Amino acid sequence: MRRTTHLGILAACWLAFATAAPDAAAQGKTKGKVTATKIDAAKIKAELESGNEKRMLAALQQVEDAEDAGKAAAPHLEALARRGASVPVLSRCLEVLGGLKQPTSSLAIAPYYRHRVPEVRRSAAKALLKTGGPAAVKALRAALRSPDAQVRGIAASGLGSLNAREALPDLFAALSHNVGEAAASIGQLCKPEECEKLAGYLGKLPFDVVTSGFDQILFRSPKDMGDEQKIRIVGRLRELGTKDAGNYLADVAERWPKDWSKRVKQAVDAAVKALGGATASPEDE
Amino acid sequence: MKKLVFLGISAVFGCASGSGGGRVFSPEWQNDGGKSIAAVQARIAAAKVDPGPGVAVGVTDTGLSGVLLDGSGKWKHAGKVDAMPSVSGGVVVATTGGSVVALDAKSGRKLWQVDSEGRSLRGAGDDGTTTVVSLGSSSGGSSMFLAVERDGNVSRKFKPEAEIGTPAIQGGIALVPWGNQYVSAIDVGAGNEVGRLLLREQVSHATNLGGSIYFGELSLVRFDDRIGQAVQQQGTQVTLPTRELPGKPLWFSDGTTVSPANATARERIRLFAHPNGSELSGGRFAATYFRIAMGLGATDGKLHWVTTTKSDVIGGAGTKGGFALCTEDGTVVLRDEIGGDAGSVAFDQPIRGCAVQAGSFTVARGKPPAPLPQQIAKAIEVREAEMAVAQRFLLRELGALKEAFVTKVLIDLAENARTTPMLLEDARQLLSSRRTGAEHMLESLSKHYDFLTDVLRPPPVGPMADALSAMNESRAAPLLARHLNDPANTADDIQRAARALEKLATSSELEELKTFFALYRATADQKELVNAVLSVARALVRIGGEDGKRVVRDAARDPLTHPDIQAGLGGLVPAEAPPKAAPAAKAAKG
Repeated sequence: MRRTTHLGILAACWLAFATAAPDAAAQGKTKGKVTATKIDAAKIKAELESGNEKRMLAALQQVEDAEDAGKAAAPHLEALARRGASVPVLSRCLEVLGGLKQPTSSLAIAPYYRHRVPEVRRSAAKALLKTGGPAAVKALRAALRSPDAQVRGIAASGLGSLNAREALPDLFAALSHNVGEAAASIGQLCKPEECEKLAGYLGKLPFDVVTSGFDQILFRSPKDMGDEQKIRIVGRLRELGTKDAGNYLADVAERWPKDWSKRVKQAVDAAVKALGGATASPEDE
Repeated sequence: MKKLVFLGISAVFGCASGSGGGRVFSPEWQNDGGKSIAAVQARIAAAKVDPGPGVAVGVTDTGLSGVLLDGSGKWKHAGKVDAMPSVSGGVVVATTGGSVVALDAKSGRKLWQVDSEGRSLRGAGDDGTTTVVSLGSSSGGSSMFLAVERDGNVSRKFKPEAEIGTPAIQGGIALVPWGNQYVSAIDVGAGNEVGRLLLREQVSHATNLGGSIYFGELSLVRFDDRIGQAVQQQGTQVTLPTRELPGKPLWFSDGTTVSPANATARERIRLFAHPNGSELSGGRFAATYFRIAMGLGATDGKLHWVTTTKSDVIGGAGTKGGFALCTEDGTVVLRDEIGGDAGSVAFDQPIRGCAVQAGSFTVARGKPPAPLPQQIAKAIEVREAEMAVAQRFLLRELGALKEAFVTKVLIDLAENARTTPMLLEDARQLLSSRRTGAEHMLESLSKHYDFLTDVLRPPPVGPMADALSAMNESRAAPLLARHLNDPANTADDIQRAARALEKLATSSELEELKTFFALYRATADQKELVNAVLSVARALVRIGGEDGKRVVRDAARDPLTHPDIQAGLGGLVPAEAPPKAAPAAKAAKG
């Protein structure tokens, strides 16, 4: 196990968790108690319109438990969001809507990233990462300007996975304003010249922040990102000449897929050698 | 009655005596209704009083530095002074190293030096031949009066028990204020008191202003052919209008005390005026407050101009045509009577204190100043905590002006993250009562908090909503509606925006209104938000047609709706009539 934990890895893990969490949770529940079943959308609708908080929360739980079948209830949850409800109901509703991953839900969720209650607006931003679509991208780009640092962070980390290339200027602006989560998204979205721009932040922003973006670039599929750009990134790290850079590249070398470019791997290995990056540490053994 | 008063004073004061004539500073003097002082004035009226040159004398670390206001010369004198120097006519007087020193005001040349007997300078006067000096202990008391001839001969010395103020001299007659109400006319040659003036107002200064002698402290009375009537307040009186000014500045300090050589806050908060008979030269007087100087109307105290200096104004004088203001960085700033920049002269070094004599100097007309709102705006831009009192005063003055530009200044102030909370609150209050400058408000409302562009303080939405609503400015509606759903705005601003939208909203704002209503009807956690939701509900009923009414009606029925909101919604929309049963259904039932 490598001792260095990179923000990039953390961000990637978080994203993976954020997008997969409902499924995982549902799986957990499946093991424990409920198996995904069909739902009675009309009944769900009636419960969500009951005005009874307990019943509404129970209905939301039912939708969540139903996994894919719950998608049938998405319009009723969207209607609930449009009507408004108490903070617990809204937060849960947004969470469940996110889990249903219906791009059509983004329009109903979007206004909530600006809610005055932090819990609600953060739930909304997280939900938008999962529902996606143009409305989500639009709202998350706007969320980068939010007074709430958490909302900014969620938006910055999610725009990359939503493949929102149009958000790149905003992401760079956010990165310049120390929204570190933007680096990973930039790494996911950038074209070579934009990736170079990200590399320009080396030495200006914390190393872990910039490498969270580099990590995305280096591990983008060979079809999506050519060897030349990856080698340039390795070169930038090598030029940095720090132990951190060496350790990071050693970590990259370890994770490098066996069937991926040998040229890039050689460049990484050469840089690790030159920088004296640790390939294993006594503490890890 | 008067006799009793004088007897009382007699019990307190001892008497100094000189040779011959009436005893000087005698507390047994009886009010003569102005006869004796009128006689003295008539006797010496022909003796001209030299106004002296316009000169500023700065206290430096090492001594004194003089600069002529017309820029014709500068001088320096080594020797640390222990009190603020005094300038009268052609002479500068200071106490330094246990001596009283007189310097030529134009050249700084030493004229004479005499023993101060451990006392410090209170003030001095000069008639071109004799210099009269008032001295005392820096901690109060120990009054001493000296008359010194040009050759340094002390021709008269008194050590009265009464506290004497700043003296003047004309035609060999010393005019010495004391006891806060008297001016004794003392024949320096004979050493006796030849007349006395009783004033109903505080008097501790006899001062040569532009070649005329004036007595007073809070106000002045000129020593002229009407001086005999001054006791009945029929003299040539010069009074500044009463108005509340920042820091409560004074025209003259108490002349019976020693003013410290280094300017204190008192010297940084002052009034300056140049009397011309019973009026003020140019119809203006100036008030200073650290780095701000203001020109005010002589009769009504109305603010006419404001100037901001690079460092504190620590001394100055009203002159013919304007004002000369000494600043701590060693500059004498000249402003004409309308506040125009008439240039400056410099000491070439920072100064700690400053005495200015206007003398015969006239401030020439300067460059036309910017309009008053801009002048005030510049003064308010100074981000120094100690300026806040003056800035609040100026802000109130600004708020009273109708120009649209004023609205912009207030908006800028309210939007600036560096504005102090006190000024911010004032600016917001004034903004809400503006009825001009709607364009500036609309421009401001188009902005929102934006982390990425460093707009970190949202515009003053609430006050502008109040104002735009009062102006019936329908163009504000879409902008206000957008602000409703911006969490960076305060709940109070949201409440006021919603109130304005109750009146201004059109169907174009329906979506924003519905969104706000949905977001907060069940989550409002502050009174202001509850009020805002109710305002929006009223707007929805007004402009939303059946759909708007339905939204409100549904919310009124929903148990999740905030109870206060639910109660407020109750009366807004009549309950829906129960649907009529279809005839077929009726038949089936039957």
